[in-house]
Amino acid sequence: MLETVSLSDLTSILPQEQIMVEEENDHPLGNGGYITVFPETEEEIQVILKYAGDHDKKITIQGRGTKRGYGGQNEKADILLSLSKYKGIVEHTVGNMTITVKAGTPFHELQTYLAEHQQRVSLDPAWPEQATIGGIIGSNESGPKRLGYGSSRDVVIGLRMVYPDGSIIRSGGKVVKNVAGYDMNKLFIGSMGTLAVMSEVVLKLRPLAKYESLVLLSFPEGNLEAVRLFATTLLESMMEPVTLELLTPALSERLTGQRVYTMAISFEDVKSAVHYQEEFVKSISPAQVQMDILPQEKAKAFWDQFYILRPNGALPSTDTETVATVKIGVTNLDVVHVLKESELLQDSHNLVIQGHGGLGHGLCQVTLKGASDNILSAITHLRQVVEQLNGYLIVTHLPYVLRQQVSVWGKPPSYFYLLEGIKTKVDPKRILNDKRYVGGI
Amino acid sequence: MGRKGLKTKDKHIKNLAKIVGDRSILHHKEDLLAYDCDGFTIHKYLPKAVVFPKDTQEVARLVNYCSDNGLPFLARGAGTGLSGGAIPVNGEVVISLVKMKKLLSVDYENRRAVVEPGFVNLKLTNSISDKGYYYAPDPSSQYCCTIGGNVAENAGGAHCLKYGVTTNHILGLEVVLPNGEIIEIGNNGVPDAPGYDLLGLITGSEGTLGIVTKITVRILKNPEAKQTVLAYFNDVSDGSHAVSDIISAGIVPAALEMMDKTAIEGVEAAAFPVGHPRDIEALLLIEVDGISAGIDEQISQILDVCKNRNVREVKVAQDEAERARWWANRKTGFGAMGAISPDYLVQDGVIPRSRLPEVLNRINQISEESGLRIANIFHAGDGNLHPLVLFDARIPGQTELAIAAGSACLQACADVGGTITGEHGVGIEKREEMRFVFTDEEIQAQTDIREVFNPGNLLNAGKLFPSPGRCAEVKKEIKEAAL
Repeated sequence: MLETVSLSDLTSILPQEQIMVEEENDHPLGNGGYITVFPETEEEIQVILKYAGDHDKKITIQGRGTKRGYGGQNEKADILLSLSKYKGIVEHTVGNMTITVKAGTPFHELQTYLAEHQQRVSLDPAWPEQATIGGIIGSNESGPKRLGYGSSRDVVIGLRMVYPDGSIIRSGGKVVKNVAGYDMNKLFIGSMGTLAVMSEVVLKLRPLAKYESLVLLSFPEGNLEAVRLFATTLLESMMEPVTLELLTPALSERLTGQRVYTMAISFEDVKSAVHYQEEFVKSISPAQVQMDILPQEKAKAFWDQFYILRPNGALPSTDTETVATVKIGVTNLDVVHVLKESELLQDSHNLVIQGHGGLGHGLCQVTLKGASDNILSAITHLRQVVEQLNGYLIVTHLPYVLRQQVSVWGKPPSYFYLLEGIKTKVDPKRILNDKRYVGGI
Repeated sequence: MGRKGLKTKDKHIKNLAKIVGDRSILHHKEDLLAYDCDGFTIHKYLPKAVVFPKDTQEVARLVNYCSDNGLPFLARGAGTGLSGGAIPVNGEVVISLVKMKKLLSVDYENRRAVVEPGFVNLKLTNSISDKGYYYAPDPSSQYCCTIGGNVAENAGGAHCLKYGVTTNHILGLEVVLPNGEIIEIGNNGVPDAPGYDLLGLITGSEGTLGIVTKITVRILKNPEAKQTVLAYFNDVSDGSHAVSDIISAGIVPAALEMMDKTAIEGVEAAAFPVGHPRDIEALLLIEVDGISAGIDEQISQILDVCKNRNVREVKVAQDEAERARWWANRKTGFGAMGAISPDYLVQDGVIPRSRLPEVLNRINQISEESGLRIANIFHAGDGNLHPLVLFDARIPGQTELAIAAGSACLQACADVGGTITGEHGVGIEKREEMRFVFTDEEIQAQTDIREVFNPGNLLNAGKLFPSPGRCAEVKKEIKEAAL
């Protein structure tokens, strides 16, 4: 093994038990490090970054690794900086409905704590027990409830970042409305750790829903025109669905046992308002459609299942076949078209494909399983379809070796030089997550 | 607009006129006076010229010309900004976007509209209301402010408590960069396009990163039902506590506004009085919207909260006309101060909601110490205070005193973990106060980003950030004058 970092250097700045030399074989998802460090304080993050800067070392940042297969053209950096031991709540004033939390805090831990106060963070990421709040924000991950509550850019009100030179830069603040200076929060959300290490996050909270239910509408196979018509009618109404997620037949089968296109429509409000909206959905549903209403705990149980279906970079893969996930963004209702195309790829490419997408926000997640070559070819095909719709496709989970063979982010935008300029200003030595992001930033 | 014939020897004026046409440029001093300030009237500077491009191409050519010739320039909408963001402090060429005022398209199915920057905020809602849609950000000046200006300032409004501020509703932008290049970001509303979130960065950058020439916004379906409550309190702190109790009850009101006694005196003396009692200390204006079946329950909870906090009188608007009267009274609140004071200065601090009673006390103290009355009209739900410092500019020293008192209010907000501006922007007004909330390194991190977009700093220079030269002593002097 090539020893790129001197262990004695690191032991002089960190306690021995917070340093681990990677002994296992190379990780199939890449994005590793020869040495893993587990800072427990912000000062420790600062000294690690300073060390890297002084010695021209590269760092990969990781929370708990659920997104290890997301981007990145390096198998290993010099140092893998894990924030898994940098967790906990820093400040929570219940009446202000804001919370400050360390970046390595697992999402579920945070939600469980907040639930005691009848509050929550209104995001719904995959793998909530492992995914850290820092990773969710850094990768700008959102789930079906984005329709009702928005994404990270709508809930993050402040960040405390450790810049590559070790300095602490705060953006935003602790208040819900703030236009002092540039809205630098936005720069770090979704930046894939390529600018700075997230230390603390300040989030705007919402009250827990007083009541919720999930309406599942299963559509006879293939009748996507009926899906579209139903969705536009619901969107035209004054109802306030929190999700309007279309599931492909294969995904629906795993969750409901029925291999048909299914719409998952969540309502969260006071009980009377939820029931009123369920009735409305019933009144506009086409005759041949089957409708199931899952109240409260059953709705939660459905979503709990839903959130752990996607590949998880932190779990050892048990599949002999290759698994990939792509995120697709299109104009809202084009989701129907994208999911239909994905469904067709199953036969043409001999793959198992499960997908879902939000008709009110335009984002799809599609998971493909099968032979590597077929997956790469399906991704290329899907990207062509999506780009014709003026959308984009990002590969959010794929083994490292295959990431060399496909463009993870697609074509960089025409103004790429601005993105590169920002990277160069903030991280001139390209210490952090080098080549992890669009255009090799 | 421009007169016939240019009658100038200035080659830059001639060349700029070639781009926009003789009738779309102002350069005579008497014409320029209208552009020497915006809604922040304390400092005035004459622009070199004002040009009125009709499309993106003309904006790009103007920008190119200015940047090639080292001429400072800035963009201006309706000039309603309250922090001086459109004031030509360096004798800029002012690029007025008022001629670019078209609603370009509306896509109801996908809930988005595309507008030119000079399109007036309220006109958007008015154009789509027949189909049951509206545009959410509603600054008090919405009847005349432009959406381009809203993007620059990341404008808020009374209803952003539930619906968010401008940045939460911007889906795409066409921007002319300071080098004249035209870029499209946000892909017309497809969310999360790969790359750093320039959409979020440019929104609220106060016109220092580029000139926005086309905007894709999210439009919303009208809520099915809406109820508005007016509550009068004999005690300010009862009112403040009621605000917290409503939020703690798990209600997310669409708006939650507060006015204190001095503010009530002002609005009742102005154009839209509604007959508020003069002897109350505070009033709350609370609006709840959403699914009709759930509204009554929330309203009854709100009424209970108010009663538990010793409300003197609380009532629910009986019809749309009454609701509209209450809102007109509130939304014209700043201007209403003109009825009880020759001049006033609006501030815009934000605090964590739980600190409301103590900060209101501190503002009271600042008022007593400075000898100036301070009225408070504010978005209580999100802790966004608007202390209105009343003064008389004709009395020597009072303007400085008012500025210092306003700054002291912002310090009070910063001291409790708040910030110096929630929706009005920093502009030139609060440049020095940036130091209340950011370190030198943090300010540098922001100017580093500006340099990527605006390396020559010809676009709207001297805004947003404290000038490195202005040292603590100057500020101290101003403060001492106030005390």
